[in-house]
Amino acid sequence: MVTLTIDGTKVTVKKGSSILEAAQQAGIRIPTLCHDKRLIPYGSCRLCIVEVTSRGRTRTMPSCFNPAREGMEVATNTPSLRESRRLQLMLLLRSHPLQCPGCDAGGDCELQNLVFEYEVPELNFGRQSRYFHLDNDSHFIRFNMNLCIRCGMCVRICEEVQGQSELSFVNRGIESEVSTDFDRPLDCEFCGQCASICPVGAISSKWLVGTGRRFELKDTSTVCAFCSLGCSLSLGEKDQKTVYVSSPPESPNQGSLCVKGRYGWPIVYSENRLSVPLIRKNGSLVESTWEEAVQSVARGFSSVKDKSGPDSLAVLGSQRLTNEEAYILGKFTRTILGTNNLDHAAGIGYLSLTKGLAPILGYAASTNSIREIRGSSAVLLLGADLTETHPVAKNEVILASSRMKAKVIVVDSIKTKLTDRDGIFLKVPPGFEDLVVNSMLKFIIDEGLFDRASLDLRVDGFESLSASLESYSPESIASYLDVDPEMIKKAATFFAKAEKGVIILAEGLNKSRDSIALSKAATNLALITGNIGKESCGVYVFGEKANAQGAIDMGLLPDSLPGNQSLSDEATRSKFENLWNCQLPVNPGMKAEDLFKAAEEGKVKGLYVVAENFIDNYPNRKQLERALGKLEFLVVQDMFMSSTAKMADVVLPVAAPYEKSGTFTSAERRVQLLNPSSKKKIGKTDLEIFSILANLMGNPELASQSCSEIMDEIASVVPMYAGISYDRIGSDGLTWPCVDPEDSGSPVLYEGGFPLGKARLVPADPPRIIPENQGYYRLIPTITKFHSGSFSEWSPSLMEVCPGRFAEMNGKDMSTLGVNEGDLVKVSGNSDNSLELTVKESRRALLGTILVPYHFSENRLNLFSDWGSVEILVSVEKASK
Amino acid sequence: MQERDALLKKKVQDSVEQIPRDKLELLDPIIEKYQGSTSYLIPALKEAQEMFGYLPMEVQRKLSKGLNIPAPHIYGVVTFYSFFTITPRGRHTIRLCLGTACYVKGAKEMLEIIVREIGINVGETSKDGRFTLEAVRCLGACGLAPVMMIGEDTHGNIIPSATLGIIEGYQ
Repeated sequence: MVTLTIDGTKVTVKKGSSILEAAQQAGIRIPTLCHDKRLIPYGSCRLCIVEVTSRGRTRTMPSCFNPAREGMEVATNTPSLRESRRLQLMLLLRSHPLQCPGCDAGGDCELQNLVFEYEVPELNFGRQSRYFHLDNDSHFIRFNMNLCIRCGMCVRICEEVQGQSELSFVNRGIESEVSTDFDRPLDCEFCGQCASICPVGAISSKWLVGTGRRFELKDTSTVCAFCSLGCSLSLGEKDQKTVYVSSPPESPNQGSLCVKGRYGWPIVYSENRLSVPLIRKNGSLVESTWEEAVQSVARGFSSVKDKSGPDSLAVLGSQRLTNEEAYILGKFTRTILGTNNLDHAAGIGYLSLTKGLAPILGYAASTNSIREIRGSSAVLLLGADLTETHPVAKNEVILASSRMKAKVIVVDSIKTKLTDRDGIFLKVPPGFEDLVVNSMLKFIIDEGLFDRASLDLRVDGFESLSASLESYSPESIASYLDVDPEMIKKAATFFAKAEKGVIILAEGLNKSRDSIALSKAATNLALITGNIGKESCGVYVFGEKANAQGAIDMGLLPDSLPGNQSLSDEATRSKFENLWNCQLPVNPGMKAEDLFKAAEEGKVKGLYVVAENFIDNYPNRKQLERALGKLEFLVVQDMFMSSTAKMADVVLPVAAPYEKSGTFTSAERRVQLLNPSSKKKIGKTDLEIFSILANLMGNPELASQSCSEIMDEIASVVPMYAGISYDRIGSDGLTWPCVDPEDSGSPVLYEGGFPLGKARLVPADPPRIIPENQGYYRLIPTITKFHSGSFSEWSPSLMEVCPGRFAEMNGKDMSTLGVNEGDLVKVSGNSDNSLELTVKESRRALLGTILVPYHFSENRLNLFSDWGSVEILVSVEKASK
Repeated sequence: MQERDALLKKKVQDSVEQIPRDKLELLDPIIEKYQGSTSYLIPALKEAQEMFGYLPMEVQRKLSKGLNIPAPHIYGVVTFYSFFTITPRGRHTIRLCLGTACYVKGAKEMLEIIVREIGINVGETSKDGRFTLEAVRCLGACGLAPVMMIGEDTHGNIIPSATLGIIEGYQ
């Protein structure tokens, strides 16, 4: 720690902090035009100069990259500094067009603010105009380089934080501008970070052009509804219509967003939104009234229940429901419908990943907060293509890789973009990542690359683990996977020797239900290498949809009650029975997989689907369709006419996530508040519908509470939410476990020990057999960064950047097949299913694989998949025209 | 206004010539030599330019992939240094020094002669693809003023009237 004096105020800061950071900490503002806390100091604007007196000498220096030193006396606002800044501003204005009245950035322009603040009276220098054309060619983003002040923040954030390097300074001197190579339109992540960081109007969001100025917009802060990272959003509305989405710099995600968060919001205004309930009459869905629709739902469920018993009903929830809705849905299902047949899509993906963590460590959730990844010195990505699935978390890996020189070890069946970073890439067939992890474990244990003494203190089960790894020697696994054994050894050594190691798992359709083996292996590895319970270490599990963690915490599962409390436990059950004032069904319900089998056999007759489009997303489409055909009564509650909704007997339109209140729990266990925008919502919120149905079906108390009262109820029964209430959540959210109203949350789990006393290593299963793929291609359903489930298919903006129907293939495979980029290929599975797709050459695709994004319902990709395995073998040929 | 902007904006032309795929393979040894370290971009570009005479889009993209350096960054470097060019050059580059010493000793007259007789101005390439003319600020040989470089050869103490004779020696 060093102490210095800034403008007479004593400040103590961490060693290595800059003078600027010290001043900010003391609440003293120093003007800057090229500084952002996310970026490495650059020092190009020269506005942050301060006078520093140290050892009797006074010097003027930029405060952004000069470190604070002990005993410094800093003056930030002397007359000569003001004069110098004024001169600097005049020089900037020399070639900056003074079109402020007509500029989109007017009122939100740092340059304008500073010129005002520093009272730049007149321009003493001759003007030097530049003439760059307006570049409207890229999606979402407009370039007007005439306004550029060359602070370089866009170029730097693109390289340093996003790891994209899509922008660069081109040309020289007065001619220099920010552009791509050969001035082509952007072909990048479209995260919009460049536009959001631009201090002037040189790079801006196209939608804001001529629409409204920042100060006119009314901001509503909420949480992004796409992936599970829980980025804070600020919805800027003009005339009650969202026109601009940004993220506040002080949010946990520091103002960084990805394309879905920043530009996916037009989904709310999609012309395909359902606005009136639909009821099937004489075979087709016709518009109806809310009154009639809810009556018919209530009657339908009651009659199925009366006729065939409660267990002939089933409910599928969603990871897009808020915690409150998920909780009430669980309560509704178990008390009013009287069944435990309740599941959701995370039960297929996310749950199995977290399930490996719980028995070993205690909690079924990521161990650390996302922002800690940047401090790690080794990152192990297991089947986690973060660039595509969680771009904002990918930024953290980029930061770790570039600033901490962390090795990035990628174990995947796709050559992801993060393989470009310094590290190791180990290719595996889809779903076999755990083989590599266990093999790394074996090598680490054999070589003694771990601290036995500390392990004994905190961890049980070492002997059984090490015995179970007998057949996992790097040599045998490497020959099995056809990789170099030295690579596995190197990866193991890197990870074991790293001071802080992070392991990241992400959900995706290319994960099997066996991912539980993977997450167990990953957790074992983290424990053995001492990477649990410390900052910037740990195991991360990232779900695909916004409330993946919350849906599990709220017990949208057949066998557990809210808070991961087992249904079979007598005491837990009676706790909930007392609170809910009812008798809970004892037998665990059916998982989604079994549920459809049962429906096919006619055992499940009524299905209530809330915000889930299973017919496009769940595996084995044929079975799903057969099951649907057998159902007597299907109710679908959705924003859009999804493929599932088209089959329903009653369709209830619901409000968008940006139109409702509630909380989401992000992948870092952060419980955050959603606030509705002022736009009038379309349809009813899911919660309103549950409450109406509960009313009609004889239990009006069930859902009469407000969201905050429901959270209070959750807090009373779910121990890790015990200290959470709406008053306390605030803008940054609270991280569970938060056990009492004084607890400020725990970003790092297991710091003080394990809830079970000691962690328990779990032995590994023997290696699984990799199926032969002789003569076939492996089809890997992928996620693209522009989409989220099949939900984003309804966002006109996201469909504009990434329309469907394409497949990625390796260049060598393409020449073997004799196809060129843009040609159609025919992909055929083992039964009569086939698919025609436009092929793209991609470095992501390894030899013998074909990557197809799974988001697009028209592809009907789940015709190829099955519940049990992730291995999809297909034959690929050139399509005849 | 926009029309004028479009006219005035100094846009770099996309390279018109298509470099055939097999010719691009000539870059492989360069890529192999400099792979793995991003700090060797400039030597790699220099060698590539020596090979092709200029650095068209295909060459930059290939280097970008091979050296794992983002294409916009390469383009930024190429457009920053006057040594690199995106458009084809003549077989011989004439670098005429217009620094103070050379200027007063007659470089101005030499420039006029070249413009008049060869028919190219600074930055241009003659129609027959023989010469490209560049004006430089100083070649560091003021003692030999006026100085002119043609390709790798340096010519000093030139009497302006002899300019054409020197140039004629390069085919």
